[in-house]
Amino acid sequence: MFKLRSKLLPVVMAFTIALGFSFNAVGDGHKGMKVPSIKSSVLMSGLDGPWDMGFLADGTMFFTEKCKGLSVRTKGGNVHKLYGMKGSKGYADSANDLFCSGQAGMLGVVADINFDKNRALYVYSTSTKYYGSGCKTNFEKCDGNIVMRFNVSKDLKSVSNRTDIVKDIQYKPFESNQPFGGPGAHNGGRLRVGPGGFLWVTGGDRHRGICPQDGSLLCGKVLRIDGDGKAHPGNNPPAGFDKRIYTYGHRNVQGIDFRPSDGRAFTAEHGPWHNDEITGLINGGNAGWDPAEKRAGRGACPDKYCGYEPNQKKGMDPAIRAAYTPMSDTRFSDLMPAAWNNNGFSQGTGSAAFLRGSNWGVYEGRLAVGIMGIGFGNTPPGKRIDLISITPDGLGINGIVRMPLGFNERFRGLVMGPDNALYVAVDAGKIYKVTAKLLN
Amino acid sequence: MFKIPWRIAIQNLLKISNFLFFLFVSTTALGGDKIAGEKRFNKTCINCHGPAGKGVASYPKISGNEIAYTTAKLEAYRSGIKQGPNSSLMIMFAKPLSDEEIANLAAYLKEAKYNN
Repeated sequence: MFKLRSKLLPVVMAFTIALGFSFNAVGDGHKGMKVPSIKSSVLMSGLDGPWDMGFLADGTMFFTEKCKGLSVRTKGGNVHKLYGMKGSKGYADSANDLFCSGQAGMLGVVADINFDKNRALYVYSTSTKYYGSGCKTNFEKCDGNIVMRFNVSKDLKSVSNRTDIVKDIQYKPFESNQPFGGPGAHNGGRLRVGPGGFLWVTGGDRHRGICPQDGSLLCGKVLRIDGDGKAHPGNNPPAGFDKRIYTYGHRNVQGIDFRPSDGRAFTAEHGPWHNDEITGLINGGNAGWDPAEKRAGRGACPDKYCGYEPNQKKGMDPAIRAAYTPMSDTRFSDLMPAAWNNNGFSQGTGSAAFLRGSNWGVYEGRLAVGIMGIGFGNTPPGKRIDLISITPDGLGINGIVRMPLGFNERFRGLVMGPDNALYVAVDAGKIYKVTAKLLN
Repeated sequence: MFKIPWRIAIQNLLKISNFLFFLFVSTTALGGDKIAGEKRFNKTCINCHGPAGKGVASYPKISGNEIAYTTAKLEAYRSGIKQGPNSSLMIMFAKPLSDEEIANLAAYLKEAKYNN
């Protein structure tokens, strides 16, 4: 009897413990949390600086390589090189006016909302075509970034009828006395189609101090235009501004997407050694970046650009820089406050995409933000993708978690595919497919 | 008992020490320690220059160069000498490098390859 009891005891205890755990799991709501299993795989490799992707409903993926050109991966997995830049080989067509330098090159790509009918595709690139006489120094207009519209052939093997629908986004032609001082700095360059089918174009300040707050220049702006490059009739920039401008006062916007719940545009923007920002846009609003010299209590700055001051050549507390040249300067009454500022750090926000689809479970509707990771001073590099839950008013976040990928990369381009997977381009030459699946 | 003449003993000792010195120089100062170099590279350099120094975004490829070339570049940056548009960044990163770290980095980068 004693022996039998001693043998049964562990079994009974194990059963009781297991039962207890299962009751606890239900009791604390754990089973209802819908936490997805997130996995990644390499979709493409061996690429040269993949920058952006644009999808069709059937899974066809257009993609850009910054110094090569535009290509397409068909739903069957075949790759066709469509439109190359100067010096590129193997493309069906190419153009000598398109070039890359520093951060500039062939950047954003997106298909028209009515692609099935009009076969229209939009591409952002650096070009010498509209330089005119305005690029002799860094202190001139220098229209060196453009948005092109192409018609894509039905067999996806070529593009035709290039039309430059935006010809006057500024470009930095020469080196300057800044930490990232090479030509081609800060172009923005992300293209997305927003609610109603309008095209959104993100810009950068191209290291020119006056750009973000000057309403006659397209540098440091977010544009909302139609497929011909004309302003959306509802754009509401300040009086005297170019009507294509939706928002101004930006530094370098490489991420933009539209919140599924209300269609509001949110941008992801690089900070200058402080404060990467996620910002909910307001029509006509000011993102608050003003790196011009002799403003806001500042004196002269190297090459008339205060973007890395003070003491731009040495590491220092990001908070001091943030106070000197703020990303979101509160002296502007039309300031759009950031929802998130990366805890005061700048680690290089690349791109952003709202997670769409019930397969993302608790993360559905969160903004996935790619961080490229550059560690200056004591800032950790932070190469990662963050999943950010933004408050309904767009002025803050409910929470933030790191996407469990198991690897670190310079995450450059993020876009949702029609299969509700997240596609991610990294600077090292790969495009990943990240899937989410609910297990219960 | 067999005796080694003291002169021969000293000559042999000198030969051995010369050999050890040559071995030390060839694996550290001249060639550097590739493994230590890779470890140092992955600590900071990789964030801009990409895996194995292949070059990414606006940051140049730095692998495949001769040891003397990489060493000279890093030593110049460490001295605060400007060499191109991103010099301010490189000067900041090179300032704390020791001679040994530069040798190790140069040795690693000479043959570093990224299989993409």
